[in-house]
Amino acid sequence: MRILLIMALSLLGCSGQIDEPVSYFKVETPRPFGYVNGDEIPQHIVIETRSGISLQPGSLPVKGQINRWLNLNQVTVKQSGQRYEIDFLYQVFYAPLEVKSLTLPGFTVQLSQGEKSIGQNVPAWTFTLSPLRELMVRQSEQGEYMRPDSPPPLLTDTQALYGLAASLSVAVLIAVYLGYLYGCYPNMLRRTVFKRALRKLAGLSKADMEQALTVVHHALNSLNGQPLFLNRLGEFYRRNPQYLQINAQLLWFFNYSNRYFFSDGMIVVAQDLQQLKNLCEQCRKIERGSR
Amino acid sequence: MNTDIQLTDWREQALQFERQINQTVIGLQPAVRHIILAVFARGHVLLEGNVGVGKTTLLRAVAQGLGGDYQRIEGTIDLMPADLIYYTYLNDQGRPCVDPGPLLKHGDTLATFFFNEINRARPQVHALLLRAMAERSINAFNRDYHFPHIQVFADRNRVEKEETFELPAAAKDRFMMEINIDMPRGDTELDELMFNPRFHDTDRLITGVANSGIYYRLNELAQTVQQRIQTSPKLHAYALSLWKATHQPHQYGVQLTDVEMPQLLMAGASPRGMSYLIRAAKTRAWLEHRDHVLPEDLQAVFPVCMTHRLFLNPMVAYRKEQLLPELIEGILNQVAAP
Repeated sequence: MRILLIMALSLLGCSGQIDEPVSYFKVETPRPFGYVNGDEIPQHIVIETRSGISLQPGSLPVKGQINRWLNLNQVTVKQSGQRYEIDFLYQVFYAPLEVKSLTLPGFTVQLSQGEKSIGQNVPAWTFTLSPLRELMVRQSEQGEYMRPDSPPPLLTDTQALYGLAASLSVAVLIAVYLGYLYGCYPNMLRRTVFKRALRKLAGLSKADMEQALTVVHHALNSLNGQPLFLNRLGEFYRRNPQYLQINAQLLWFFNYSNRYFFSDGMIVVAQDLQQLKNLCEQCRKIERGSR
Repeated sequence: MNTDIQLTDWREQALQFERQINQTVIGLQPAVRHIILAVFARGHVLLEGNVGVGKTTLLRAVAQGLGGDYQRIEGTIDLMPADLIYYTYLNDQGRPCVDPGPLLKHGDTLATFFFNEINRARPQVHALLLRAMAERSINAFNRDYHFPHIQVFADRNRVEKEETFELPAAAKDRFMMEINIDMPRGDTELDELMFNPRFHDTDRLITGVANSGIYYRLNELAQTVQQRIQTSPKLHAYALSLWKATHQPHQYGVQLTDVEMPQLLMAGASPRGMSYLIRAAKTRAWLEHRDHVLPEDLQAVFPVCMTHRLFLNPMVAYRKEQLLPELIEGILNQVAAP
């Protein structure tokens, strides 16, 4: 009896399950239908191995293009002890004209123990892909059915326009200031000095001879950029040679002005004022470039 | 009318005198014109220039041409005021004697007093000269000596500054004009000066200047000129603006490079300086055949009458050779008339 019991226990000990290298293997996939061009398909694989057996990551598909219509976008391997959780994220680029059955290719996961290697097949997975468009172009329904894509929404450019306007304003102001520094405006004003002088002279009479002479003096001073005197006419002509043609009138003016302002007994006649206006008109013509 | 004729005659003599000086000392026409103006306006003259450009020759020629008693003294570092008044010596009998010095030797007929190298003399000498120039008198031997006709010409060397004493502002202000003598620029004049033997013997050259004998009538003439030549209210306004511009040039738009204009000047022109300016301008108007002064008369004498009266701030005084002419030019270019 005792011998029978020992034999029974020995047989019981020898009757245990034979050790498999993979103790647990499962491929989890989503629904096998309802995909369209561009969809991403996740695939979750769980492998539990026996102690001493490890996964060879090199045997897993690599990220990138699998075939002409399938991309593997992401590969993630998480290990906790002997449990491996592998996540794949595929993306489909296939535009079928009708519902089409496609297959994610299967592959073999390599497991190793020392120098030995064992393979675990991951089966191919078949799913269906639906077309994105109508197969028939329905011309009858209000003409054109196929429409171009809607244009992309424009970014708001109000701020940029305001910035541009502000920058341009500042640039214009700086340019104006620079022109001022370079003395452009006196030059512009100088082109109208005799126009303004003529306007002032127009309302003056013989009795206002002093004012009239002063107006012409100021005009000539403005043109010259500094006070102009009889003895400096030579320098004035060097700077403004076009006025040399009215040298006689200018000499008359300065001599007349000297007599009027600095000597006694000057008698003014109406013709003097007219001559002064004529001089100013000649200067105006030169100023406008018509002489 | 007689006075007008007299003035015309005098003017011809003055212009003749000027031509004669210009033939003796060539290439210095502007300086000669200024000296003529100073002489006929009865103002003292300070000449400044480089060595050997003809300062002394010019002054000697002017003194010779004017006539009158002439005295000359050389400025040295050991010259004392007493040396101008008297000198002591032992006579033939071995007795000590005291004789009048250069200032007193001719008494009240002293006409031209030429002070050579004035900046080598000490300030004490300058002080004595100040009174002689301003009041035309000095006090010596317990009495006053008057020199109604004295005309001081002084010169100073522009190059050497060692062992010299800068003229005090008061002394400078008593000179009507400070005239810069530069070397003649024309090639013809330079060639003449080099090769014409006439210019090699200065004494003979000076002796060739005819004595016009007009000197002792100059005071009367100058007074007549100052009375007869008219100035209008507009010219008064112009002269006033020029005067103010010598004090506040920035208010008249005068700008100099690298200078804070409000801090440029320590002192502008003095009333005496402006009166000298007007006297010289009137004399110029007379020489130019006019009976009234024009702005160009003032402009012509403004640099020589004003440059030595403007005193720069010590911060920029080291640039005075450059800044003062620019300032004078700037003032004349900015003040308008009318």
